[in-house]
Amino acid sequence: MIRKRSPMTRISVRLVTPPALLIGLYLLFAGHNNPGGGFAAGLVFGAVVMLRNLAEIEAPRHARKLVALGLLGAVAVAAIPALSGGVLFDQVIGEVEVPVLGKVKGGSALPFDIAVAAIVVGLVVALLDGLAATGGLGRNTRRPMEPNR
Amino acid sequence: MLWWLLLSHGFGVLLAALSGWRRGMRAGLTVASAAPLATTIWAVDRLVSGTDPETTEVVWVAGLDLVLRFRTDTVALLMTVLVSGIGVLVFAYGTAYFGADAAGRARFPATLLAFSASMLGLVLADSIWTLFVFWELTSITSFLLVGYNSTSDAVMDAARRALMITAGGGLILMVGLLVLAEEAGTSVISEFGAVDGPAASVAAALIMVGAATKSAQIPFHVWLPGAMAAPTPVSAYLHSATMVKAGVFVIAVFGPVFSGNDLWTALGLAFGISSMLWGAIGALRHDDAKLILAWSTVSQLGLMVTLLSLRTPKGVFAAVSILVAHALFKAALFVVVGEIDVRTGTRRITELGGLAISMPIAAAVAIAAGASMAGIPPLLGFAAKEAAVEAALGLEGPMFIVAGLSVIVGAVLTVAYTTRLLIGLLGPGPDVTVAPNRPLLAIPSMALAGAGLLGYLFIDPVNELVVPAAVELDPSADAYALHRWPGPTLGLAVSMVVIVCGLILGTILARRTLAIPRPVGADVADRWLDAIPIVSRTIIGRVQHGSLPIYLATMATVVSLAAAPFALSLPADRIVLWDDPLQAVLAAVIVAVAVAGMFVGSRLGAALTLGAVGICVSGVYILYGAPDLALTQLLVETVVVVGFVLGLGHLARRFPDSPNTWRTIRIGVSLAVGTGVASALAVAGSQPAGQPPIDDLVRLAADDGGGENVVNVILTDIRALDTLGEITVLVVVALGIVALANVRRSEMTT
Repeated sequence: MIRKRSPMTRISVRLVTPPALLIGLYLLFAGHNNPGGGFAAGLVFGAVVMLRNLAEIEAPRHARKLVALGLLGAVAVAAIPALSGGVLFDQVIGEVEVPVLGKVKGGSALPFDIAVAAIVVGLVVALLDGLAATGGLGRNTRRPMEPNR
Repeated sequence: MLWWLLLSHGFGVLLAALSGWRRGMRAGLTVASAAPLATTIWAVDRLVSGTDPETTEVVWVAGLDLVLRFRTDTVALLMTVLVSGIGVLVFAYGTAYFGADAAGRARFPATLLAFSASMLGLVLADSIWTLFVFWELTSITSFLLVGYNSTSDAVMDAARRALMITAGGGLILMVGLLVLAEEAGTSVISEFGAVDGPAASVAAALIMVGAATKSAQIPFHVWLPGAMAAPTPVSAYLHSATMVKAGVFVIAVFGPVFSGNDLWTALGLAFGISSMLWGAIGALRHDDAKLILAWSTVSQLGLMVTLLSLRTPKGVFAAVSILVAHALFKAALFVVVGEIDVRTGTRRITELGGLAISMPIAAAVAIAAGASMAGIPPLLGFAAKEAAVEAALGLEGPMFIVAGLSVIVGAVLTVAYTTRLLIGLLGPGPDVTVAPNRPLLAIPSMALAGAGLLGYLFIDPVNELVVPAAVELDPSADAYALHRWPGPTLGLAVSMVVIVCGLILGTILARRTLAIPRPVGADVADRWLDAIPIVSRTIIGRVQHGSLPIYLATMATVVSLAAAPFALSLPADRIVLWDDPLQAVLAAVIVAVAVAGMFVGSRLGAALTLGAVGICVSGVYILYGAPDLALTQLLVETVVVVGFVLGLGHLARRFPDSPNTWRTIRIGVSLAVGTGVASALAVAGSQPAGQPPIDDLVRLAADDGGGENVVNVILTDIRALDTLGEITVLVVVALGIVALANVRRSEMTT
């Protein structure tokens, strides 16, 4: 296999990162009204993280923390309405005036979607990183990787 | 009040762990004793004031009858006094038994209190679910306490064996309770009426067997001697005074329900008589004082089961009295033996002697508790044993006469093994060096043994505790009471003969160990228990062999077998090949790419072809107007390709050559699973499904969910609880992968 990543790979992954992250964010926030949602956004973010790992730009970190925080967040979204006298997952919808964007409508489904995204990112990273670790290429024994150049 | 007490146990577990961790074992045990102390005071107060039973419940799932329900009737309160009262003394004893820096200082107090709480829940339970849950909790905490802080294989085996027998027995009990609940039409224990019929007999047999496992009745007794590997506080608390009584308690509580059932009585007598006699002989066969006590516990539990199975109010009353007296004297004896062990370094009666002079307080306690066990006045054990002898006399019917005679023979053997134990410990013998006294070691045993003496001197308060409990189980038991001196009756004469015979037998056998070989039955039980792990290991070795291709082939074969019925019922006339010619084009591309994938020799190339198939499939979704699905499919394919690139790095670039047979099998399995799944989808798709509620969902999504993407609103709002469940599964999967990868990493670095 390719032992050393070529500069082309590195540079193209670096170039792709910001637009990919933007697409992920768009999917996350637009999901309520247009195609997208937390799961899709999580996949995009996860793929970005793993591409950067593949191109040896940076090693994934915090996967477990993301998973834990995501689940905590999801449970919180479920439990907060119940604890304040409603039912589980009771939606609160409100409108906020945001400069530039104008009136933005949002509900408690958004934090739930963000939690889903966090868990999916963590899962993707754990899955792919686990795949990479369980062989013998030795790339994972070199972490943490060299700082960005 | 009951809720507060249960909650205080829950908090107590946390606090005990915390203070044990910060300040050591002593602090942990001291903190842990607070909740049982409060519970004891509450229960005694309720019993003495004669308050009516109070029921509290928390409904979990009303439709399934899943209710956490507790009831404070007199039997439950009496058991509560024993569980919590002896608990307090055991916690106090533990503070002296363990060194301040003992290992497991956070875990041990917390687990011991968790056991106490489970036992409390068990005795107060008023629904079969509650009973079962707490029953199994006591098994689990017992397992943790037996195996506490030991790495020796023998101890681990003993702990595992205790868990297998008691938890397995719990499952049998559960089935029995379910059958009974179905028959009686309620799951509330206090509402069970007498039941009869074949189903009742099945329930009776299962409940009796389940109870017998917990109360160490022959042939399930094999776990109890092994459990003596636990530290003395655990043995004194779990394996003599409380947990092993759970089975007796269940037999007592369900006795009225099965009062007319012959199978219940016959099984109870068989368990009780064999355990009573063989347990007593077992106590004569050993020279480790703790094992003697364990076997004597088997025997005494057998006595209680026998008395409960006599079907007489006298028998029920005697069983309850023995239960109370036994809890006091047996815990005291365990505590004394533990003290002897700590101060001399041995428990073998062949290596001990002269403790009457070198350890006078322990000796006095041992004599008082031992005499109570043997039924010698002036102690509570005498009054209880009198009740048992009275219950054993004047029975009718061959089965019951045998039971009565066995109770008397068992009493002789009890006096004999007690005499042998006391002579072994206190009489002349090899000199041992004795470490100095620790007051807290002696105080709990003095309290327990003293309770036996005070209970005899002030017998009326004891009657106030015992009689209502017996009446609860059998209303006609109110004619009986414990007596300090029964007067010139036949029972007293029999008791005197029993004591004299037992003393003679015990003196003859003192300093000797009966060399009766182990009976065949015990070995068979042992071998069965040893076989369970071996069998499970063999099965796992066969099933989990670790070959990924074979796993995959197996799974695919099962899938195609499951899909076969669909393939056979394919409705040819309803198949529509395509709605749009573009679909046909896409399908042709998919097939072409998939077939091409078969001929790609490099692994990475094969992965990329698979990715291409997936991307074409997402095109099909687009054509059907499902952008969400297409998007997700596209992203998943991308991530999978990245995964392949990462994972394939460890494998050779090209597929290895494989033998032709294996290749044929793989092609066959692939064809089968492909056809099966395709036809299953075709059948499912061609079924008339009615009008989907899409308009309702769109309206619901817009009005309640505030969103126009119905799929997303369903996921995050309408069916959000489902999503929560799914992401929880994802989290578990992620953690599992991380753990597995870490194992591999550490294997690779070492």
